[in-house]
Amino acid sequence: MSLLKLDNLETYLEQYHILQGVSMSVEEGSITVLFGRNGAGKTTTLRSIMGFNPSTTGTVHFHNQNISKLSTHLISRKGIGYVPENQGIFSGLTVEETLNLAKAKSAGETEAKMEWMLQLFPDLKKFWRKKSGLLSGGQKQMLAIARAYINGDGLLLIDEPSKGLSPIMVEKLMESLLKMKEKTTILLVEQNFLMASQIGDYFYIMDDGKIVHEGLMEDLKEDKETCQKYLGIA
Amino acid sequence: MRGLFHKVPMYWGLAIVLFMLLFPFVNDSRSTLILLTQIFIFAIFAMSFDILLGYTGIVSFGHCMFFGIGAYSTAIIFNQLEANLLTFMIGLVIGIALSVLVSYIIGLLSLRLKSHFYAMLTLAVSQLFLVLAEKWRGVTHGGDGFTFSVPDLFKDRTSFYYITLLSVAVVFILLKLFTESSTGKVLKAISQNEHRAEALGYKTLHYKLIASVTAGVAASFSGALYAVSLRFINTNVFSIEVTLDALLMTMIGGLGTLAGAIAGAGIIEFLRHYLSELAMAYPIFERWTIILGFLYIVVLLGFPSGLAGFIKKLTLKKKRKVKKKEELKKIA
Amino acid sequence: MEVFINLLVNGVSTGLLIFLLAAGLTLIFGLMSVLNFAHGGLFVWGAFSGAWIFTETNSFLLAIAGAILIGMGLGWVMERFLIRPVYGNHVRQLLITLGGMLILSESIKIFWGPNPIRVNMPGWLEGSYQFDGIIIIKYRVFVIVIGLLLYLALWLLLRHTQIGLMIRAGVMDKEMVQALGINVKGLFTFVFLLGAALAALGGALLAPYSGVVFAEMGMQYAILAFIVVIIGGMGSLQGSALASLIVGVAGAFAAYFMPDLSLALNMLLLVIVLLVKPTGLLGEKGSAV
Repeated sequence: MSLLKLDNLETYLEQYHILQGVSMSVEEGSITVLFGRNGAGKTTTLRSIMGFNPSTTGTVHFHNQNISKLSTHLISRKGIGYVPENQGIFSGLTVEETLNLAKAKSAGETEAKMEWMLQLFPDLKKFWRKKSGLLSGGQKQMLAIARAYINGDGLLLIDEPSKGLSPIMVEKLMESLLKMKEKTTILLVEQNFLMASQIGDYFYIMDDGKIVHEGLMEDLKEDKETCQKYLGIA
Repeated sequence: MRGLFHKVPMYWGLAIVLFMLLFPFVNDSRSTLILLTQIFIFAIFAMSFDILLGYTGIVSFGHCMFFGIGAYSTAIIFNQLEANLLTFMIGLVIGIALSVLVSYIIGLLSLRLKSHFYAMLTLAVSQLFLVLAEKWRGVTHGGDGFTFSVPDLFKDRTSFYYITLLSVAVVFILLKLFTESSTGKVLKAISQNEHRAEALGYKTLHYKLIASVTAGVAASFSGALYAVSLRFINTNVFSIEVTLDALLMTMIGGLGTLAGAIAGAGIIEFLRHYLSELAMAYPIFERWTIILGFLYIVVLLGFPSGLAGFIKKLTLKKKRKVKKKEELKKIA
Repeated sequence: MEVFINLLVNGVSTGLLIFLLAAGLTLIFGLMSVLNFAHGGLFVWGAFSGAWIFTETNSFLLAIAGAILIGMGLGWVMERFLIRPVYGNHVRQLLITLGGMLILSESIKIFWGPNPIRVNMPGWLEGSYQFDGIIIIKYRVFVIVIGLLLYLALWLLLRHTQIGLMIRAGVMDKEMVQALGINVKGLFTFVFLLGAALAALGGALLAPYSGVVFAEMGMQYAILAFIVVIIGGMGSLQGSALASLIVGVAGAFAAYFMPDLSLALNMLLLVIVLLVKPTGLLGEKGSAV
């Protein structure tokens, strides 16, 4: 059963027609990766799901419930955690304050989720009282992911987490996401094919505001032609 | 110039000017002439504000300072020298020079700021001028103000009526030419999207400075005429109500049209005149400013493009209806 | 020495009154990027309704409570009908809040007439303290105490409550706060009402202090509060507190030594801050440029 289902989503930013009929579905318990070059509409797809840039036509179903007309805070309360491209760190809040804020309107077992996140990312515990703005790039990404996981319930939307991270950090991030997959479904926007192809189950490829390809990640690895055409990988 | 004929149907403009020229022959009631003169003076002031808000998207809450500078320069000079036309010219030139200086300095210091900071800063500076006028009693006689005499040409209501009418027409044409010029087009681009204009390589600060100096000069001119029309001045010319007048007139008439500013000045001054007459019978109307305030808010919320935009919409709808009918006929 | 201490007390008490106005302005701006030009209108309504209730009931506490309630009621109407419809459009926001200011100060004249109104001091706050020949007016001490308590309360609210945490996060990143399931609109209404209450309280406290109230004083104090908010840094409560004290004390000294220059002095402070540090003394975000 698909947990999240987008049906023919069309979104405008000012006068620009960014999403031109995006349909996709995210299976429960999977990591689904959304590929595509810059400007293809990946970030806008996530932002439309979250209600920041509501779609003009089309629907978003989460747990078989239409959420496309709800405002952002209500969409979030349905159980969708969100990690934006710029991480959206509250630089003046400490790690503790940030995670407490994530708990404020969260559903489910917040204490257990918090504990598990601190286990998965021990650095967060180490810098518990530190201002988030002073953390390293990798630590900020972990904080953003932990915040989204604690706040969400069942689904995480993560926008390009590997961006700007060192190869070692990317490696760590992959491990953490694989572990998290046991407890939550993940929709991942990624440009780093090498990383995403190792952890993803399903993939979609976007181009010019449309889905141009989809399938099992294993098949994509074999499909040299598609890889070259859309992802620039030989 | 072609745009001028395009945008304001020429025959309308001509008809109005012609009517206004003949008006004193038809109706020589003193109070009507005075009212129309006031309208003309405020039309110039409102147009100057329209250059800022309507054409460039600059929100200034201190526009009264230029009105006041022009008014005080003329009044003080008339108070010191003989009442002749040369004196008026001197006063006018001083007022305009001061306005150029002040608008340039304020613009240079603060036009870089975001809109709300600029609005707040101009408001504060204009209040500074108000305080200055109140404290510098030796010259301004403070809040009590002073009267002064003006040349006979200005004393005569009919001739002054024609002078202000001519002034409106000239200022309208000059400002229209300014907005149709290449500079004016850049200003429009800035009002729509300043970042884009900047990305296209325009030095937006430079252009915004030109707009604010132009507006300052025109406002100063209207202030000078205002002082002459009253033959009296006090610190009220620096009050926030004067800025609000400009806002009301341009918003109600329609932003970025100049003609709208003139219409707005007409509407507001008429309303004010009418309401203050009503106030004699019904004291509740003594606070007619609040009615203007509500009108302003209704316009802002309901008709953001003012009277001009409303008329445009109506004619567009008509045209569409006509088109639809024609299309229907074709199909039939 | 006596002059010095008196001026200091005057300056601090005026500064704290300005702070009550500036605190709302800066929080509203920080959270929603709205510079509310009608904020001074709530202040002057607080002053008049407080003075009026005090003359009617002779109870100062009732006067203050009434002023706060009226201020919040007006604030609610303003937020709902003026600010929300133009949310996100800076130019129209500026224009409409100025219109709100016009209506608030004109309606004062409808209710209480166009002339200034005299206000009496509550009996239990009349008089002064004497220390070694230095006379300090009781009411000013009262204002200082109330101002400091309110600052402390605001600080506690922002630092140690959940809604405070939400507000601080909202000032930093509004979108992300929504993505955490928090209703930013509700948060804004809360902050706006809080700001309105503080402004009205400031007005009610000012009335007996200055002895006379008039409709135009809303704009006068609003301008001081704007200057304070910019000097202190938009969105920063501590910045506003610091700048309020600076402006209050500088104003008190200027009024004594060179009375004609007190407003000019504040403008000078403002220009210096804008040129040297456009984010204000303690501001992090919301730079003026």
